[in-house]
Amino acid sequence: MAVIHDVMPAFELFQPPTVDDAVRLLGQYREDAWVMAGGLDTFDWLKDRIKRPKVVVDLSQVRELSGIREANGGLEIGATTTLTEVVRHPVIRGKYGILSTGAEAAASPQIRNQGTIGGNVSQDTRCWYYRAGWPCYRAGGNTCFADTPTAINREHAILGADRCVAVNPSDSAPALIALDAKFVIRTPKGERVVDAEDYFIGPGTDITRMNILRPGDLLTAIRLPADWAGAKFYFEKVRDRNVWDFPLMNVASAMVITGGKIERIRLAVNAAAARPLRLAAVEDAVRGKEPNAATGEIAGRLAVQGARPLRFNAYKIPLMRNLVKRAIGGVEQAAWA
Amino acid sequence: MSNNVPANKYNKYKLIGKNYTTPDLYAKVTGRSKYAEDYRADGMLFCKLLLSPMPHARVRSIDARAALAMPGVKAILTADELPPPADSINDNGTVILANKRGDRGLTREPLYQGDPILAVAAVDEVTAADAIEKIRLDLEPLPFVVDPLVSLRPGGPNARTDGNVWVRGAQPPATPGRPPAVVPPDVAVLKWTEADFAEAKEGRLPMGKATDEWTVGDLEAGFKDAALVMDETFVTPNSSHQCLETRTAMAYWQNGKVFVHSGAQSTAQAVPAIARWLGISPDNVVFISEYTGGGFGSKITGAISLIIPALLAKKTNMPVMMRISREEEHYIGRGRPGFHGRMKVGFSKEGRITALDMFVICDNGPYDQVGDAASSGRIVSLLYQPLAMRWRAVTVLTNTPPRSAQSSPGGMQGIALMEPLMAKAARKLGIDQVAIRRINAPEGKAKFGPLIAGKQAYATSAFLKEALDRGSEMFKWDERKALPKRSGTTARGVGVSSSCYVGGSIGFDGLFVIKPDGRLYIQSGIGNLGTESVHDVHRVVAELVGVPWEKCEITWGNSAKNLPWACPSGGSQTTHAMTRAAHAVAMDARKKLQEIAARDLGGKPDDYEVANERVVRKGGGPGMSLAQAAKRAIQLGGIYDGHELPKDINKFTVASATALAGQGLLAVAKDSYPRDGVTHSYVATFAEVEVDLETGQYRIVDFLAYADVGTVIHPNALGGQILGRSILGIGHAIGQKWVYDQHYGLPVAKRFHHTKPPTILDIPQKMQWAAVGIPDPETPIGARGIGEPPVGGGCAAILNALSDALGDEVFRRAPVNADTILASLEAGRPMQEPLTAHI
Amino acid sequence: MGLIQWATSPWGREVPIHISFGLLWVSAIGGLLFLVVHALYVGYWAKSAEAHSREAVGTGIASRVPERVARHSFGARLFHGVMALAMFALLFTAFLPKMGVRFAWVTYHWIAGVVLTISVIYHLFHATFWLDFWSIWPDRVDIEDAARRLRRALGQAAPAPRKFGKYPLENKLYHLAILCAGLAVIGTGVLMMSRVRTPFFTRDPYLFGFSDATWGWMYVLHGLAGIALVALIIAHVYFALRPEKFFITNSMIFGWMSREKYLEHHDPQRWPVGEQAPEAGAAGGSKSRVPA
Repeated sequence: MAVIHDVMPAFELFQPPTVDDAVRLLGQYREDAWVMAGGLDTFDWLKDRIKRPKVVVDLSQVRELSGIREANGGLEIGATTTLTEVVRHPVIRGKYGILSTGAEAAASPQIRNQGTIGGNVSQDTRCWYYRAGWPCYRAGGNTCFADTPTAINREHAILGADRCVAVNPSDSAPALIALDAKFVIRTPKGERVVDAEDYFIGPGTDITRMNILRPGDLLTAIRLPADWAGAKFYFEKVRDRNVWDFPLMNVASAMVITGGKIERIRLAVNAAAARPLRLAAVEDAVRGKEPNAATGEIAGRLAVQGARPLRFNAYKIPLMRNLVKRAIGGVEQAAWA
Repeated sequence: MSNNVPANKYNKYKLIGKNYTTPDLYAKVTGRSKYAEDYRADGMLFCKLLLSPMPHARVRSIDARAALAMPGVKAILTADELPPPADSINDNGTVILANKRGDRGLTREPLYQGDPILAVAAVDEVTAADAIEKIRLDLEPLPFVVDPLVSLRPGGPNARTDGNVWVRGAQPPATPGRPPAVVPPDVAVLKWTEADFAEAKEGRLPMGKATDEWTVGDLEAGFKDAALVMDETFVTPNSSHQCLETRTAMAYWQNGKVFVHSGAQSTAQAVPAIARWLGISPDNVVFISEYTGGGFGSKITGAISLIIPALLAKKTNMPVMMRISREEEHYIGRGRPGFHGRMKVGFSKEGRITALDMFVICDNGPYDQVGDAASSGRIVSLLYQPLAMRWRAVTVLTNTPPRSAQSSPGGMQGIALMEPLMAKAARKLGIDQVAIRRINAPEGKAKFGPLIAGKQAYATSAFLKEALDRGSEMFKWDERKALPKRSGTTARGVGVSSSCYVGGSIGFDGLFVIKPDGRLYIQSGIGNLGTESVHDVHRVVAELVGVPWEKCEITWGNSAKNLPWACPSGGSQTTHAMTRAAHAVAMDARKKLQEIAARDLGGKPDDYEVANERVVRKGGGPGMSLAQAAKRAIQLGGIYDGHELPKDINKFTVASATALAGQGLLAVAKDSYPRDGVTHSYVATFAEVEVDLETGQYRIVDFLAYADVGTVIHPNALGGQILGRSILGIGHAIGQKWVYDQHYGLPVAKRFHHTKPPTILDIPQKMQWAAVGIPDPETPIGARGIGEPPVGGGCAAILNALSDALGDEVFRRAPVNADTILASLEAGRPMQEPLTAHI
Repeated sequence: MGLIQWATSPWGREVPIHISFGLLWVSAIGGLLFLVVHALYVGYWAKSAEAHSREAVGTGIASRVPERVARHSFGARLFHGVMALAMFALLFTAFLPKMGVRFAWVTYHWIAGVVLTISVIYHLFHATFWLDFWSIWPDRVDIEDAARRLRRALGQAAPAPRKFGKYPLENKLYHLAILCAGLAVIGTGVLMMSRVRTPFFTRDPYLFGFSDATWGWMYVLHGLAGIALVALIIAHVYFALRPEKFFITNSMIFGWMSREKYLEHHDPQRWPVGEQAPEAGAAGGSKSRVPA
């Protein structure tokens, strides 16, 4: 049968008005259902006729899924809140600035107007072999096309690879991990709340999924606890183009500094592995130290231990080392004479 | 009035050199402009293409029964139903023999992934796509290659079953009394030896047998005399044209005529091309293209793929729309061939190039030969004026999408190969970067290229030294180069590049009518591809006939609307060619007005002058308005209202003028002005970058392109061209590329976010342009084209600024990205794979 | 449900990529069904039918049989144990993830695969050059006796089948089946190692130049053999746990069986032990010794 891309095939569209209705539909159609939020990841797949769901459940009409509310001293962000709303929200800007910066680093203004925070964290990998519809492990096949002697893999993983070497492309995910966000999931069995870093899974756990959502599950909200409000934040994204590009790598850190020493810290990088990586070992190593260049150097070197480059992505090792260094010690700014 | 063109003694015009609002602008900014895809016709079908999934294969069988049995599916078109490739005849009467190996639109032997095999027409696109999925295609995989060097290796695969390189075709015996035919190139097998490839291990381009070469001067002596000899390998990227408007086309037939809506870089010249592709008479082709969303060389006479809806429309007797998706455009939308280049250059201690030995491998794709390799040699020869030069080239066939000319074809690549070497040489010799370019810059009737009948060709003029001088002053070059290079984790660098490309052709027609309402009705056969030359050149007519621009109506974009023969808007020829035609036709109008005035008011025609919408006796006296003259022209008939036409105009113009005859004073003329030399335009480009040494990311903080384009016609449009095409070139330096998996021979970068054309936030934070404004002496208005020269300059200025910031041991191919910078800085040597194509 | 999962190759061709993993359940249920049917057969129907003659062995021969008849050398038992461990590790790492138990299984799987491969290579050499190579292959007597048993089971007259050699026919057939399935998983698995990241070499799925379809069929064969092993191992464990077969199970653990069991089930002509054994080193001869 011949292959054609770029024309969306027919599917049954549901636009439930409530979360309950959405969850019921997802429970009813299970593997046949596709959850659509902003549609940016979805339409790529559908247009290419690679993913062929029978049913699309469009969340755009579920009003309770959208919006940012104060909750328990922190914030609760509905899963279909657009990235633009997240970027512009005054409390996020004021107290959780790292999320605002991270969300603003994603894609382009037009995409942020349509794309949602839930979609940004739940999007599929951008590995170009997988996206081209090649039958790789992640697509249920029996090989990885990106980890071969002829593969072009400058954007692929240096850590956590297990057959698949794809990376998670989300810019908001590391910021959410740094903020110790909680992800609220509705499953057929009820509500479940998980830590941000536990929302994401690597290929070793399940090679066909990027997160813990199983058919029938729905990410409904992301909660930001008050613990890290107003901490010292650092976010940086490195990419080929200054807009409309996925990260070559990004880093996010939140630090509470007392008496000139790092009292508490959370640190995460993304696009280094198939899941955003929380660097707990680095956090342990720098706690109690001064947040300066020397500490940053130690942290950077520790962060890349065990990294294994592919043919074209060895640069990610110094990149990750330097980004982690900066996330702790800051950037030595240029001051032209 | 523009500040970008310094006032000088040549600025004597009312309209030429002034900004104005083009007649298509409101439609463009309000969305009312109609592109091919915006048209609808009653009963219109849609068609979709079945593209080859393999890089090279033979279609053993096609089983479309299930597809054709689907409700709503109307027809299928395969390569078997295409007209055979037809010869053509150019304006000089020379027969151009068809290339049987050219792209025909559909094929039974796909030569790259994405090569269209068949098309299905159905009532809508979803049905057509579903039908394509039901087609059973039996393909026999054939040997393939996507890297030209791999094909040249001993035993390497050939992209075509009959060979892997283009060579000159054998000339058939000439027919007595007719000019010799232009023969298509031939395909041959070329393999280099293992010994040739020994250098590849060191990252140097192997140089085996070339298929084409020329030498001018004493190369050996040049190297012997040199104070410094450099030998550098550099690789440039392949890049899609990525026109915002894909090559969508809609077609229908009425009364034996085919009506085609599509984008093209020429309205007039698309007609004979479509006729040739369809095997019908040009009289039966109506081509509608009011707006074209970019061409850059990929749609010079339209795209051959438009025959697919045309033939399906004939087969179904219904209009057929073929919308081309972005992925399809990546395949069939053409691209610039990447070069593997090696330059050995000798410099005197003053920086003058004493000898230049250039070797290029051009990655041609599988179909028609591109001229990039040949033009790269000519452009390098003109731009750097080496005292001796050898050029050698191989144009290798690969199973990658077909290439075509892309803004500054060959020129951009040649300059990108040469400029990093120039920058390095200047550093080694301790010479200023501007100075080394100035000492080698062409001037006046600068010679270039191979010896033809013992002589080199030469330029019409060149004011590149002026552009370099004024540009370095405007950019404050001397101040900037003295600034510190490093601060914190940031490195700063400045770069300059010379650039040039051809800038004009000759011999086309102008046509307009002065009607009894006193207005000028100007016919434009030029394509409206965004450069505004479709309107700009006619400012010359208004200027010379003395009519306010508001009283000029331009008709364009529909070959049924009686348009004159015009140049295709490729090779930056339009502004030059069509201001000449505009000048010629304006002169024809003036002559006719003077004759009518003399006839009615007495005296000799020369006693009268044309100005301010009137033709009046010089020094005061009787006269008549243009409206009155138009009425008289109708009464007089003959040459005055177009019932008698000059003998030298193109037959396309004859048909149009004949249709317009009798409506007023009809002015029609061919540009037959002399020209001594080959027209080129020049740019001096300056850039400053800041590189983050810890991430490899960089920003272009300042940019200036100072152009030598002769007389400026429309400053805003010129600025758009200079900066826009600079950005096209910058794209080649900062990210644009193709990416192939060599095991399968398939592209993995097919979408914008993979092929990475520059975004609005990647362009320089500060960007300026200026023009020297000295008229070219070989054309009546003095204007030359500018589309292409900025491309090479844009690319090379960034590369040079980067090497100024980072040193010479970071990159040896373009584009340069964070990965290259970081990996090379980490290792202390260039860490990119030196020769692998499409990485 | 099809037997095979198909996918579209990068070149747009339909290629197999895996078996349908639903076949796992077919195999598991098949194995369990066999077990139930066999238990019923043995319990209610085959009671009367003897597997072989109860004819007593001459006392002369019997007296020469040692108290503990050596059956499996330490090397053979070690191999069996290692192979069993590897096999269980392979099956669990292969199929638990398919059943929804998520863990990073590939490393364990390939390590177990390497262990299995080495142990099988060892066994091949060991069995060929040091053990009674032919004792595990069905011979003419086995086939004749099988025919006799069948005729007798069907109520026809037939001579009593003789006692077994070293291994009963079922044992030999089982070994043959394990051999086929095992070599299939090992053969394909070794090739598949080129597609796994290991510390030893760079992953290169193109090393052997196989087409996507060839690889697909290899995965299908690996999968089919793998699920066949599920059924075979269910049957194996079942037989090992049947009380009347304990003496065989024990001999695999301790290396010997009692003289009584030997004389009851085995034909000293076909499996000579003790002093009647020919000289060591004779091709095809037994090297059984009484353990020290």
